[in-house]
Amino acid sequence: MDSLTPAPPSERRWFVAGAAAALLLAAAGAGGQERRYTVAFANLTEEPTVTLEGTGFTGRDLRESFALAARRLPVEMVFYDNERNNRRAVANAEAAVARRVDLYVQYHADAATNSIVADRLRAAGIRILAVNYPVADAPLYTADNLEAGRIAGDALGRFAARPWRGQVVEGVLVGSLTANGDRVSERARGVEEGLRRHRPGVRITALDTHGNPAQVGALLGKFLAARPAVKLLVGAMDDATALAAKNALEAAGRAADAAIVSHGLDRSVHGGVNDRKEIDPANRGSIVIGSVAFYLDRYGYELLPLALRMLRGEPVPPRTVTAHRLVTAANVFLEYPPSDMN
Amino acid sequence: MRLKSLLAAALIVVASSSAALAQSDCTKLVPPSPWGPNDQTGATNRVTAGVTKAAAAEIQEGKVVPMSYPLADGVPLFGTRFTKTILTATSLAPGASFGENQLTYMEDTWLSQSHVGTHLDGLGHIGRKDCYFNQTAMGKYINQNSITKLGLEHLKSFATRGVLIDAVKVYQAAGKLKSNSACTKPCLDKGTVITRADLEAGLKLYNVTLREGDIVIIHTGWGNLFEQYPKQNALFNSGEPGIGKDVANWLVSQKIVAVGADTWAVEVIPGEDPKEAFIVHNILITDHGIHIIENVRTDLMADEAARTNRATFFFNMTVPRAVGLTGNFVGIDGIR
Repeated sequence: MDSLTPAPPSERRWFVAGAAAALLLAAAGAGGQERRYTVAFANLTEEPTVTLEGTGFTGRDLRESFALAARRLPVEMVFYDNERNNRRAVANAEAAVARRVDLYVQYHADAATNSIVADRLRAAGIRILAVNYPVADAPLYTADNLEAGRIAGDALGRFAARPWRGQVVEGVLVGSLTANGDRVSERARGVEEGLRRHRPGVRITALDTHGNPAQVGALLGKFLAARPAVKLLVGAMDDATALAAKNALEAAGRAADAAIVSHGLDRSVHGGVNDRKEIDPANRGSIVIGSVAFYLDRYGYELLPLALRMLRGEPVPPRTVTAHRLVTAANVFLEYPPSDMN
Repeated sequence: MRLKSLLAAALIVVASSSAALAQSDCTKLVPPSPWGPNDQTGATNRVTAGVTKAAAAEIQEGKVVPMSYPLADGVPLFGTRFTKTILTATSLAPGASFGENQLTYMEDTWLSQSHVGTHLDGLGHIGRKDCYFNQTAMGKYINQNSITKLGLEHLKSFATRGVLIDAVKVYQAAGKLKSNSACTKPCLDKGTVITRADLEAGLKLYNVTLREGDIVIIHTGWGNLFEQYPKQNALFNSGEPGIGKDVANWLVSQKIVAVGADTWAVEVIPGEDPKEAFIVHNILITDHGIHIIENVRTDLMADEAARTNRATFFFNMTVPRAVGLTGNFVGIDGIR
């Protein structure tokens, strides 16, 4: 048929219907393919040896979690390092404004700097999501140290109720108890609360390492010598401290008199098949009976879905807390499946 | 008396519920095989005489392209896996040869796990809880030495068409290749999720349409690190590029027999969801009886495809009829 010859009515109808269907499909295709967003993450610090939030996780763990989580989301990541430096934090926010990112995830401890950062970003119409420290009234995602401590204390109390029924039991809090900024003191308070739910009158002693795990041996050794016939429930503030406490107890010949619950669940205690690890189904006899997970290495998986909800105009709660969980030899492979088998 | 009866009844209820927990209801965890309730063969049921005959048409030049890596001391192995060979060569000693013809002989003792080097994952390799392919409650079918159901002896032939998908070329063409600096040839970096769109682009590159009974081989370039053994073993084992759940489900819909790659697990590591363990293995092997072939040497076939603009070949793989094994190392040649 000549292209200039008008088509008969029936063919025209098919053509119109076909064209309409094509338009609908095109529209559906456009609607089905969500736009990609640019999300910036300004990390507290990426200095290799610096650990965050009183756990064994580093800034690199956080950054990697964002990069990995972004793989299956319509998100392009831009990374900044605040270097725990107020000027750098402001400069990073300004760089993000110049880059016209869609949303800025800010992880920085200084309140005054966070206020300046919020002003800069808001002036540019950029949404903000805060990590662990408030940034004006932006939605906050944070660890819940008090609740994590309660979980640890509760686990210690439950443990003591079984093998040590009727024996003299004391509690020990050990770690960097007065560290500034890490809110470890909230964690310690939580352990006390959790433990006292089971043993209201229990005596609890605080052993402050002031951030030096090498102090654990000396502090705990002295403490143990003064209490030869006491069972100990040890609330370690982080995994490195827990391992140091275990060593001290073994050195003193008192491993059978103690149980330890720790905080963080970093790779130093869970690991994979190839790693030396403490919390493992094949090591159920360990006196480190568990660690309360802080999941800093999964922040990206938690925060990016929140960021997407904000970008789509959906409501998000003003405060979202980490779902801390006690991880023991019984559930560690469920929480952290080791990838070194196939 | 009545209290005693009640307590006894309660004990029976508790005991029976504990027993029920010991074995999972596999009909709820794993789908049935499309080849019937007694099927232990899985996807190699698709390799019919017609499929093999059609695949034979791929042999046009008689050129044989090796697709296995050497199995030698020092190649990357995982976890506690090991290989060890011990040579028996006593007849080489002076005066120990036999007869006037001075016959001598040598033999090997091979101590090895089966999932090493270029190897096939069988249907007894991966399950969900105690449930394996075709709703098999595997707890009833294991003894101290082997599995008594779903062993390699039940598999049919793998004599079918192989289709190479060059993911490196796809990523290069799309301008998104971020190679790892340790690779001496271009490679996708670990953690890269190969998508369905990537695979479709790879098929389009050589105008191939998948057909039922094919074996899909993905070239990621990551195998270059295997070739550098032992220097890059730690990096090779630390993760890999690969497919995720979406692609696994798409491959299931294509009714293939197996998928292989030049990586140690075929699927992306770290996985898409950190709380899932080797989920692609579950989808392919446990749920659909589709085999995974790991550590396939793909670079030579990728070069061959690029040279001839043809990415299909006759897939020639030998799998020992090893009774009760969950997998085994294999030799693969692509014949064209």
